[in-house]
Amino acid sequence: MPGRDGTAGSASAAAPAHGDPALRERFERDVLPLLPHLYSAALRLTRNPADAEDLVQETYLRAYRGFSGFEEGTNLRAWMYRILTNTFINSYRKKQREPVTVQDDEIEDWFLYDRLGASGVEASAEAEVLDRLPDEEVQRALEALPEGFRMAVLLADIEGFSYKEIAEILDIPIGTVMSRLHRGRKALQKALWETMRERGLVAG
Amino acid sequence: MVWLQDECRKVLEQVELYLDGELGAIERVQVHLHLESCGPCTDHSEFQRRLKELLRSKCGCDDVPLQLLERIRSTYAAPEP
Repeated sequence: MPGRDGTAGSASAAAPAHGDPALRERFERDVLPLLPHLYSAALRLTRNPADAEDLVQETYLRAYRGFSGFEEGTNLRAWMYRILTNTFINSYRKKQREPVTVQDDEIEDWFLYDRLGASGVEASAEAEVLDRLPDEEVQRALEALPEGFRMAVLLADIEGFSYKEIAEILDIPIGTVMSRLHRGRKALQKALWETMRERGLVAG
Repeated sequence: MVWLQDECRKVLEQVELYLDGELGAIERVQVHLHLESCGPCTDHSEFQRRLKELLRSKCGCDDVPLQLLERIRSTYAAPEP
């Protein structure tokens, strides 16, 4: 069975592109520029720079090996994220310690918005409170989400993929994408609320 | 707590899909028209939009380590034995 990320599953499959200067040139032109985004995504997934570097490097190696089988003009970004998430799930997840599972049934809709309103923050100022959160705190809140939620939120909100693309990248039904996004965002709001309280950005 | 009209409730259930650009054409117009005429729902929607924006602006642009690009190139570009 071929790897579901489209990369060569064995040595006998598609030849690596070493020998094909045109292919290598196309790879460098089209795939290398995705590095900053892929690295950020890898950081959110692995939660540490050393593993993120290894994950991205492995992703590029697999992509290069499978690149001759990639159909030019199709969705290259989605293809790369599929390899990234696949590599993460297969190689790096084992090392990760999952954070405590979110008790998301207890989180009502519009959690953060309602809490901010209840704590006396004006509707117009609620967005400003968000902006005052340091980058690292927002990153930490995202990284604390359970993996399935985290990947869905990352692909939708940071990378801007459609539900259909996310379903294909993660190999899950669209309904599952929607449910993970919804629950992940709710859990994220709760985490951000806790952070705001700790930092004294809101009362309550 | 403001009591939500049925229509508001329905719209708020769809706002996530609306902001994700995943609603069908007719539903999208319905939500859009409601938001234009309803302040509280617009506030909700705007807040949710800012949350999406917050993630994009704060979680997607880490500095790439200087040596990583070269490390990547050296692995796949290794000459054939």
